[in-house]
Amino acid sequence: MKGSKASNLLRRLLYALIAIVGVATLVFVLLRMVPGNPVATLLGEHADKETVERISSSLGLDKPLPVQFADYLLGALRGDFGVSLTLGKPVAELIGPAFVNTLWLALAAALVSWVVGIACGLAAAIHKSTIIDRLFMGFSLLGVSLPVFMVAMLLQYVFARYLHWLPVAGVTDWTGYILPAIALGWGSAGSIARLVRSSVIEVLQQDYIDTARAKGRTSTQILVLHALRNAMLPVITLMAMQFSGLLSGAFITETIFSINGIGRLAVQAITGRDIPLLQATTLLCTFVIVMGNLVADLLYNVCDPRVRKEA
Amino acid sequence: MLVAPLCGLLAQGCASQADRAKRGSVVTASATEMSTMDMAHNDSVYWAQLNIFDRLFETRMVDGQATVVNSLCTDYRRSEDGLTYDFTLREGVLFSNGDPLTSSDVCYSFSRLLTEAAANTEIPLQIKGGEALMKKEADRLEGFRIKDNTHFSIVLEAPNGGFIAELSSPAMSIVNERVTRTAKNFGKEPTETIGSGPYYAAEWVPNDHFTLRYNEHYWGEEPTVKEAVRRIIPDASTQDLMFQNGEMDIISLSEIDSLIVQRSYKTERASQIVHNQQIGMTFVALNETNRFLKDVRVRKAICMAIDVNDIVHNLMCDDGMRQNGIIPTGIWGHNDKLEGPPFDPDGARALLAEAGYHDGDVSFELALSSNGPQLLYETVSNQLSKIGVKANIKVYDKAAFMEKRLAGEVESFIGTWFMDYNDPANIMAVFFGSPERSKGRSICYPNVDIMQRVSAAKHIVDDERRKKEYQDLERKIVIEDRAWIPLYEGTRLFCTGDRVESFTPFWAGYEDFCVKDVVLKKEARA
Repeated sequence: MKGSKASNLLRRLLYALIAIVGVATLVFVLLRMVPGNPVATLLGEHADKETVERISSSLGLDKPLPVQFADYLLGALRGDFGVSLTLGKPVAELIGPAFVNTLWLALAAALVSWVVGIACGLAAAIHKSTIIDRLFMGFSLLGVSLPVFMVAMLLQYVFARYLHWLPVAGVTDWTGYILPAIALGWGSAGSIARLVRSSVIEVLQQDYIDTARAKGRTSTQILVLHALRNAMLPVITLMAMQFSGLLSGAFITETIFSINGIGRLAVQAITGRDIPLLQATTLLCTFVIVMGNLVADLLYNVCDPRVRKEA
Repeated sequence: MLVAPLCGLLAQGCASQADRAKRGSVVTASATEMSTMDMAHNDSVYWAQLNIFDRLFETRMVDGQATVVNSLCTDYRRSEDGLTYDFTLREGVLFSNGDPLTSSDVCYSFSRLLTEAAANTEIPLQIKGGEALMKKEADRLEGFRIKDNTHFSIVLEAPNGGFIAELSSPAMSIVNERVTRTAKNFGKEPTETIGSGPYYAAEWVPNDHFTLRYNEHYWGEEPTVKEAVRRIIPDASTQDLMFQNGEMDIISLSEIDSLIVQRSYKTERASQIVHNQQIGMTFVALNETNRFLKDVRVRKAICMAIDVNDIVHNLMCDDGMRQNGIIPTGIWGHNDKLEGPPFDPDGARALLAEAGYHDGDVSFELALSSNGPQLLYETVSNQLSKIGVKANIKVYDKAAFMEKRLAGEVESFIGTWFMDYNDPANIMAVFFGSPERSKGRSICYPNVDIMQRVSAAKHIVDDERRKKEYQDLERKIVIEDRAWIPLYEGTRLFCTGDRVESFTPFWAGYEDFCVKDVVLKKEARA
């Protein structure tokens, strides 16, 4: 049994590795296929042919593609992604602090989405088909359907511009994370709430809930120990996958709130055709998503005894 | 249970908002981060150069005319043949780390532009031995001769009437030789990037903020601003909100796309608006290798069909000035007597008919870079459609646009060129200095004689003769050949916050400015 578990894990890790190498190759090839010279973009209006050629050569962009690819892969293994063309610093030095900022933002957003999502979903399930249910489900529908940029701008207007409680943008202290975390976590909270509600309702109709009730358990005990615990299985998977999404997909939130994170670096890399930075941010996002999915699978294994048994 | 921490959290938020306006400090923002503070490589964001470093000369606006004034250099003499310049450095100038500034620092600063695979080699390359140094055939700049700590001379390969103006270009900033020679990360690490300007780099978190602090060793007048924070805020509406919220002291309204928001600033904060005429020309470039555009009558018809006054009035809300030439208003050599053709769609149609073209015959691509002014393109394309010319807007990714333009393959585009120094060569030679340069701008001007004259004009030492030659060439290119369709010079609008008493933007109308030209109100000073 243990051997089968280990081989299962190894197989998944191998798939993850293949996915990461595949994306790394694809990104490298695609970036070289699209028309345009990154050095000319960097030099802007002052670019002339000679200067572009001289600087391209100094950056190694005139080397044959297989050599560049080998440099890129070997560098990536060492954590060396080269020097950013637009920010002039080693990419690894830029990505480290940016990832920490994104991680804090993702954690804060996840906290918002989990707390709000589970609370709303539970309340709606307990008060099924009442005004409370409709209110919370309407609220969650808003969360799912309102685009992040609109939520972000509304929050900025209300809490920064009019109430002056929080800064409009930027992170000088932890208060700078509050509005972006709400903006980013809002959408996820909506989908978690809907899933929690449907799962809890489904579980509450199971026979073992009636058994627990017959045994004299209180409503709270039934809800927390039996209903929520079983209902959380699909929710945990969703939360794990959403967390990797939050880590790699905060492009708009980071741009609007001027948070120096991975999403903003990626946007800058795209607009400035910063090949080393773009390769590194894409690879990092791929890594996070692949690992997120892997963790979600493993969590499911851990939480659900039936899946464990099948494995 | 949640209420108490929430209240505490918001209380802290309020407190941090209350003390954001630090005395003696200003906060500004930009959407664009600089790649480096190193003038050898940075060619578009001048924030560091303008504030951390000095140059031998500076350009200032005096009564609407750009004027070169002494800075680190207090005196200079040019030889009669225009080849040799003798300079005297200002005495007692110290770098921000306390090192004295000497002639050797100037020599090193100019030489490293040639040895660092730099983007800005054009000016030092004119110094005798510049090419040999760049090609590593020499180990020193032969034409730079140091006499003593405050005296040196520069010998040029060929005379250049605008050399002094060129030395005021941000690229010609003077660095501390001792620190820079041993620096591992000059231009990237604040502690290794030392100049003699009014401020030093205190902190730089790329993509987040850049902090300047007053250089106690600065030789000039002490500014009222002791600290300046430049934050990177990519979203224009966030910048607007931050300014309205008092989190920023100066905002460049040109960063804000919305004309409605700009208008609200103009009406609600009229007294805080600072108008800055941009010394930069917006023009239409037509590629003369195109089968339609190579006909001067077609180019003239296009010129007559564009209603520049309408563009300036309606599209730019009168924040601009129509231009008729190449040399912008405010630049030495500008010809205000040059007259463009009148807006005359009927005359344009007649010219097209004379060239053998009728409604819809003439069609070409109007290439728009992804970050370009889309509304302006649509307006011009729409105006041209009224004379039956199809200017089909095609949007390119910036990198693809630049590559295509460098290869001379863009059929037409609308560009803006900002001046770096006060001399016509900074625009005439860039676009019409040689067939290669003209091709690199996708103009592909075929008149080799004119281009040779443009290239030779900078070598004329006599100022009056040089000015006359540039104006004559400008007339030939713009009026006779219609190889350049001038549109306008824009006005950059800044809005200053309640803590700012006065603000003088940079002479050329860049978004970047010298922080020492911001004067804080007494109550906001440190």
